[in-house]
Amino acid sequence: MHPDTARYLASRLVTTALIVFGAMLLLFTLSNIVPGDPAAILLGPQATPEYSKRMISEMGLDQPIYIRLWRFFSNVATGNLGIDIVSGRSVWGMVAAVLPYTIALTFSAILLAVITGIPLGIFAATHRGSVMDNILAFISVAFIAVPGFVIAIFLLLIFAIWLNWLPVLGTSRSGDWLDEFRRMILPTIALSLGWVGFIARLVRTSMLEVMGENYIRTSRAYGLSERLITYKYALKNACIPTITILGLGIGRLLGGAVLIEIVFARPGLGRLIYGAISERNYPVVQGAVLVVVVVFVLVNLIVDLSYSAIDPRIRHGSGAQGAGG
Amino acid sequence: MGNKLSRRRVLVTGAGVAAAAGVGWPWVALAQSGAATRPLLTVRSAADFDLIDPAHRRGPTDGNVMRVVYQRLMQPKPNSADIELDAASEVKQVSPTIIDFKLKPGQMFTDGFGEMTADDVKFSFERIGLPPVAGAKESAYKGDWLYLVGVEVKGKYEGRITLSQPRANIYDVVIADGSGCIVSKKAVEQRGTEFGLKPVGSGQYQVVSLDKQKGAVLRRNPAYKGARRGAFEEINVRVITDAKTTDLALRAGELDFAILSPTGADPLRGTAGLTVSDQPAIFYAWLGMNMEKGPLADLRVRQAIRLGVDVDQMLLAGYNGKVPRLNTALPPQIMGHWKEAPVYKRNVAEARALLAAAGQSNLKLRLTILNQPEFQNMALVAKALLAEIGVTVDVDAQPGGTYWSSGKADVGKNLELYMSRFNAKHDPNFVLQWFTPGQIGEWNWSRWNSAEFDGLFKAAGSETDPAKRRVMVLDMQKAMDKTSAFVWLTNEASALVHKSWLKPASVPGWGDWQYADFSAS
Repeated sequence: MHPDTARYLASRLVTTALIVFGAMLLLFTLSNIVPGDPAAILLGPQATPEYSKRMISEMGLDQPIYIRLWRFFSNVATGNLGIDIVSGRSVWGMVAAVLPYTIALTFSAILLAVITGIPLGIFAATHRGSVMDNILAFISVAFIAVPGFVIAIFLLLIFAIWLNWLPVLGTSRSGDWLDEFRRMILPTIALSLGWVGFIARLVRTSMLEVMGENYIRTSRAYGLSERLITYKYALKNACIPTITILGLGIGRLLGGAVLIEIVFARPGLGRLIYGAISERNYPVVQGAVLVVVVVFVLVNLIVDLSYSAIDPRIRHGSGAQGAGG
Repeated sequence: MGNKLSRRRVLVTGAGVAAAAGVGWPWVALAQSGAATRPLLTVRSAADFDLIDPAHRRGPTDGNVMRVVYQRLMQPKPNSADIELDAASEVKQVSPTIIDFKLKPGQMFTDGFGEMTADDVKFSFERIGLPPVAGAKESAYKGDWLYLVGVEVKGKYEGRITLSQPRANIYDVVIADGSGCIVSKKAVEQRGTEFGLKPVGSGQYQVVSLDKQKGAVLRRNPAYKGARRGAFEEINVRVITDAKTTDLALRAGELDFAILSPTGADPLRGTAGLTVSDQPAIFYAWLGMNMEKGPLADLRVRQAIRLGVDVDQMLLAGYNGKVPRLNTALPPQIMGHWKEAPVYKRNVAEARALLAAAGQSNLKLRLTILNQPEFQNMALVAKALLAEIGVTVDVDAQPGGTYWSSGKADVGKNLELYMSRFNAKHDPNFVLQWFTPGQIGEWNWSRWNSAEFDGLFKAAGSETDPAKRRVMVLDMQKAMDKTSAFVWLTNEASALVHKSWLKPASVPGWGDWQYADFSAS
């Protein structure tokens, strides 16, 4: 490994750890300043003063803030995300139960966005100013502008009700993988369409910028085919901003697909977090959000490290150059 | 519908089923089930599950599954508030504080946990009603078994429940309800905190899977020996929080049954293959006033506000007028409902006069509500109406997390006007328990401190003569009316949407479902 790359890797790992630490601190602080009595919310009218007091004690909310902070950090350090005070289940167990649904939906949506958005972006860039370019621009902006849950309702009406091709509910009753796959089609499309438009616009812009670079002109002067120049030399560099955005997108979708999860009645981290926030179920909020933060940070670390693999001109550490520089 | 339970009825029912048991009740059970079995029933649950454990359940969603997984000594008849024997062959009220029971032999718990005995009944009731032992977690439903002294095991199948005081509602809201579910002692001890996720009962169905956010799959319990064998091989309870998704799933045929608001069910009326019926509920909503807070401590101000609002207009805005108006705390389905309660009409002139007499001009009040559309719409109408009598209302719509704390402890002292909605059961004491002085700082957000009400509440809770109890319950509602601190709004309504071939079953009030009694008509 190049010393600069090793140094860069080390610094990114330290930054990653600091980001996770900062997120944990922020999470802890927010959990403590949000108004609302968790015992009253969790227990409803059954919350007698004695029972509320005991529940507050079980949640550790009667302890001084520095002790709670220490417990939170030390538990997380040992891989213990805490216990859901309502069910007595481990928070990690609750997260693990819904995480596969979230991961499957997030990555399938991103994958669909990539395999659709990139070709559309390339086509638009290579046909700049054409009718198709304008139509694609219109469609892309429309996809970006219309919220995913609205698209979801339309998809359900068309494909589940009118055509009766696909089911409404986003999960199967039992462990039937084929049925599970069918039920994931509509949520995936609903979640990915906005990203299709976004990636198509981004790739088009990046491609047009790259196509104006000196090395592309030189390639053309050497007589290389337009196909080779577009797909081998231009696309590689044009993809770097897209990869950055995808990294952010995955993080956002991990906890932010809550509306799609609700519309398709599909389990997921977003719904878990949303429900826990509504109930002031602090251990679950903290544990689930922390998992989202860690996955998000790790994905973006991988994205950062992938730059040098995609573009060898990028050097890390001293004398680093930006993408394409 | 009134509450028809009496001690005599319990004894008669007990004797009848005991006679059936004498000629071999399992065969009677099969003959009674009648309906042909279908493979699958899929129903919607609007909320998520927590724990299918009678001692640690969290609400009606858990309760609906509990009712098919566990047996009770007695249970409500399908679509009725009347109760009949379930796991018991006999339940006998020996005295106002002593109840003897005798279990049917041969009732087996699932997962190989053996036969149900009186020891399981003792364990099930005492783990809720008595202080926890050996580090066990205290039940949030301890209040259900108020006055429980203990359960004495008199034989393998026989036992005695002893109370320290008579309980009028011991059958309706305890023995025949969630806190009366009988669990396997061995299973609870063996499974510990996992028990609520892997419940062991002897009811019509057993839990195959229970997934958060997804739902529960229940399969017929082949060992069930009771009289009400379910009509479906499998019941799939799907957690679907969104009403629109529910609508689409019903249209697509993926759901057989769901509850929606009457407005939410409108687009489904007339859909081929679906039946929609509106049913009055027993949830009760009201506009409340904090009787300790500033000008609201003056009766005339409270009376002015009650005369300043128009309940019918508010219901039109909140529920498109599709819910019944409520004029007293108890909905008509509950015993002791005050049928002749005054129906207050809006009277701007009188309201203004009352405010003037109270020396109030330019009165400003904050109305705290839950940020749900129906409350927001009703609050906006109330704000406009009260402006006409000279009261400026600032509507404070809060999310559930904050709202449900806003009347509690010291924070509750600052509450002014509020709008609330509680769930109910078919018992007046259950409905009225939140308005006692002991609930100030908890759920008595009007901070109404009435010794008269408290005395009546306690007396009614112990009164086993229905006629005498009814009079007490009426007096409680009249006392509430005198305060002018409660403007009753509605007991709401539920729209039952289901496949036309399906016949749903519920305890009237349409919140406590009896999935095992759903049948194909």
